[in-house]
Amino acid sequence: MLTVALQQGINGLVLGSLYVLVALGLTLIYGVLVQINFAHADIVTLGAFSAYFFTHAFGGGYLPSIAVALLVGAALGFLINAAVFAPLRERGNELLPLIATIGVSVMLENVMLAWFGPIPYAFDSPYSERVIRFGGMFFTAQSVLIIAVSAAAIGLLYAFMKFTFLGKALRAVAQDRETAGLMGINPNRVIMLTFVIASALAGMGGAMLGPVLVLTPFAGASVIVKAFAIVIIGGFGNVEGTIIAGLIVGLIESYTTQVLGPGLIDIVVFALLLLMLAVRPTGLIAERREENV
Amino acid sequence: MSDAYSAAGRARWWGILAAACVIAVLPLVFRDSYWRTNLIVCALNVMLAIGLDFVVGYAGQLNLGQSAFYGIGAYVSTLLIMRLGLPFWPAFVCGVVASALSGMVLSLFAVRLRGHYLAIASLGFAVITYQVLLNWISLTQGPLGIYGIAPPPPVGLPGWQIDFTDLANLFYLVAGFALLSYVLLDQLVRSPIGETLTAIREDEVSAASLGINARLWKVFAFAVGTAVAGGAGCFYAGFVGTLVPDAFFITESFNILAMVIVGGMGTLSGPVFGAILLTVLPEFLRGIGDLRLIVYGLALTLVVLFMPGGIAQALRLARDRLMRASSRQTAGAKP
Amino acid sequence: MRILPVARLFFVSVLLAAAGSSTALAADMIKIGALFPMSGPGSYFGVQDKQGVELALEALNKSGTKFEIQYEDSACSPLPATQAAKRLIDQYKPDVVIGEECSDATLAVMPVLAQAKVPLLNAGSSSIKITEPGNPWTFRIMPNEVMQGMDIATNAYKRLNAKSAVLLYENTNAGIGNAKVFGDTFTKLGGTILADIGFGRDVNDFTSIATRVTGAGKIDVIPTYTLEGQGLKITQALAQAGVTKGGGGGAIQLGTIWLPFGFEQKAGKAAVGYIRIVQFDPTDQRDQVKNFIQAFKTKYSQDPTHLNAHAYDQIMLIADVVKRGAKDAQSIRDGLAATKDFSGVTGSVAFDEHNQNIKMDTIHYMETLPDLSWKALGWN
Repeated sequence: MLTVALQQGINGLVLGSLYVLVALGLTLIYGVLVQINFAHADIVTLGAFSAYFFTHAFGGGYLPSIAVALLVGAALGFLINAAVFAPLRERGNELLPLIATIGVSVMLENVMLAWFGPIPYAFDSPYSERVIRFGGMFFTAQSVLIIAVSAAAIGLLYAFMKFTFLGKALRAVAQDRETAGLMGINPNRVIMLTFVIASALAGMGGAMLGPVLVLTPFAGASVIVKAFAIVIIGGFGNVEGTIIAGLIVGLIESYTTQVLGPGLIDIVVFALLLLMLAVRPTGLIAERREENV
Repeated sequence: MSDAYSAAGRARWWGILAAACVIAVLPLVFRDSYWRTNLIVCALNVMLAIGLDFVVGYAGQLNLGQSAFYGIGAYVSTLLIMRLGLPFWPAFVCGVVASALSGMVLSLFAVRLRGHYLAIASLGFAVITYQVLLNWISLTQGPLGIYGIAPPPPVGLPGWQIDFTDLANLFYLVAGFALLSYVLLDQLVRSPIGETLTAIREDEVSAASLGINARLWKVFAFAVGTAVAGGAGCFYAGFVGTLVPDAFFITESFNILAMVIVGGMGTLSGPVFGAILLTVLPEFLRGIGDLRLIVYGLALTLVVLFMPGGIAQALRLARDRLMRASSRQTAGAKP
Repeated sequence: MRILPVARLFFVSVLLAAAGSSTALAADMIKIGALFPMSGPGSYFGVQDKQGVELALEALNKSGTKFEIQYEDSACSPLPATQAAKRLIDQYKPDVVIGEECSDATLAVMPVLAQAKVPLLNAGSSSIKITEPGNPWTFRIMPNEVMQGMDIATNAYKRLNAKSAVLLYENTNAGIGNAKVFGDTFTKLGGTILADIGFGRDVNDFTSIATRVTGAGKIDVIPTYTLEGQGLKITQALAQAGVTKGGGGGAIQLGTIWLPFGFEQKAGKAAVGYIRIVQFDPTDQRDQVKNFIQAFKTKYSQDPTHLNAHAYDQIMLIADVVKRGAKDAQSIRDGLAATKDFSGVTGSVAFDEHNQNIKMDTIHYMETLPDLSWKALGWN
């Protein structure tokens, strides 16, 4: 029984790391723009497909394919920002970009459906079949890779935010756009950059999720709602909170499966979400942004 | 001032009368069952959209959970009819009340939260409702579904009976309720209550300084908006005859919100047109087959980008331009 | 008696109209309406159904009788399916309709088609309610959930000597229904259900479910009711957890006809030892099947799945009924009801009084060998 409990802990952390990769981008965008991007899910899906075609159709390696997916995600983020968010930013209505990205999402999903078809792809990473066993427990090399890549991405993101000028500018814009502008920071540039980084993370997440997810044009949609929950539980725009919340949701998912049954996962996760909102709406970690509460 | 008000008021009543005439004529124009079915779907979506607009557009509370209230109305009324043998109309009332009560529960979050926090809270509420409908199989049949739900029972006087298995009559019933909801909401938003809600939407703090109890009014707005959605749900069950939880998945909420935005948030007539357009558009696009949803998604994005005030704004612009043109004409006619 | 030419023309045309001009047209053109899910995740079915239909029509229209088809997206959901069915009936006026795949959608359109007196030929929905009680206008060529579930459970207990089982199924009409029939039959025979695990269609990672299965005790069989995508992940996760034969364990995964030919190649070694029923057996040596496979490969350069074959058989069965003299909705219905010995690529068809195909030769048991090929078990 103890092995099963420990095993579920490992499963939860692996799954949680995947959720973190998806949710981090959403959090970044929210932190800087106070906007919700529904098309984020489709960037994840496209990332997964680009990694799939890079490895399976062009014979590329799996590790380079992660970089390919990252670039595809970044490019897509740039486009969505330029086409939807930048023109709508001036209007100052929080609802318009939300609805516009729902439209973009419907469009992207169905373009992918027309291109790739609805039949699930078998994305075999060389790491997903290698099973490591010890003490009655098991995990695949892919899960080790997922945790490693998530950790590396988070580390790099931190370093970027803390030590580079652009990173500092990004945080400045997130805290106060006008003052940042007065300090000579071009907010439009910074916002574009935020979008590119967030979407690159999503694309990379797609490459990591590809071998785990049921890879169809609807793959991203199946994780995005949970990613929203994670962003909220962690506190909108709060990177540390998002990481912790992602891992917690992963653990909830594996233990709910064990104890209550997988049908109840969403009920437990979203009940926690509502509880958080009722008790501590600023998220797990105390938050500076007060005006939305 | 009062003169202008009453003139506008009269124009409004003329508009409602015109809408009633259109409703009366529509099933005579569209005689086949396919288009009559679409008419009923339009009427249902109009109810959902104006109910949501009351909460989002007037009270300023971003609700992404309208699908849940649609589902609660549908399931509560159907289960009361099928399990307890309640007649349709009492079950209808219960469905509406159940939706309104759950709307009030959600509004307790709105009392504390705003903007995207409330959006995600309401989304979470919709996810939980959907999952309960799906998993509580002993009560709702879950994914096994409920079949053979009867349409509302016939009503009428002796010798003259309106039978709702006839799609035209069912349309009159649903559209009648949609119109009734519209008139009620219209009266509300034009009464001092509407001003109160708008004041809360614009600035809660100054509203409070005017002695407005924002919490109470938010609860009220949610109750009204979700009650209308619940009513639509009751009709949905009797109309489609089949209930499965998938019909009330969260994406339905996004569709309804899209109707409000495309129509023009914060006006009541806009979402009516938005609901009709977004119901009929995918049907017209059936001809293009696989491209259908690509075009739909693109159209939705473009409308938001280039017509952010929705159809209501476009109509206003057209009217203004027309009036300016005609005044120029009359000015030109005079030497 | 002399009749003025004009009057005669009028007379003749009235007569013709009375005889029913639609019948005159229908004699050379049979109109088929297709209700397939073409959008959303359900398009998994629609895309493959359409391939099979197109192949069959191409062959048929080369030889005499003309068939015409119109596809409508019924979206795997009751309301859109109802709208699509009404659109077909009002605007296209089909003589026969084929489809839906999802049981909810099929059940929703049945009364619509019955009211319009247009026969519905279904292949892919397994809910028992479609034919029990069913209606005179709905026919199903696939074995329903009760026929499949009882057969698999009985064979598991008697031939595999299985005493314990874990049920894995998607939380859908078909998943719950099939799993329940298996569970009931298996328990009645004396077996034990160790765990009963249903999951949503949005579950992606099955490691947690596989872990839970490892803790369920000694498992003989794991009947699994999912579609291809989740099926792949479950099979791989169970093997990684060391539960099933494919992962060095003792349990045998049992499957139903939902998985396509080629599933094993996608799942890899994890699928070894999987025993499942297939309705379409590509190793079948009948000429008809060989020709179908060859024609399919020529047209689409890929192997046909059971969904392709189902759709192909639906059209071929309609063509068979037409060949027997049917020419409109009513006569096609009667012809379908009278079908006793149709032979299709998925097996043969004979309808009982509820219009359910009762031929069990549509169920073939296959075991996956270590080289991922199939071994026919010949249990029927």
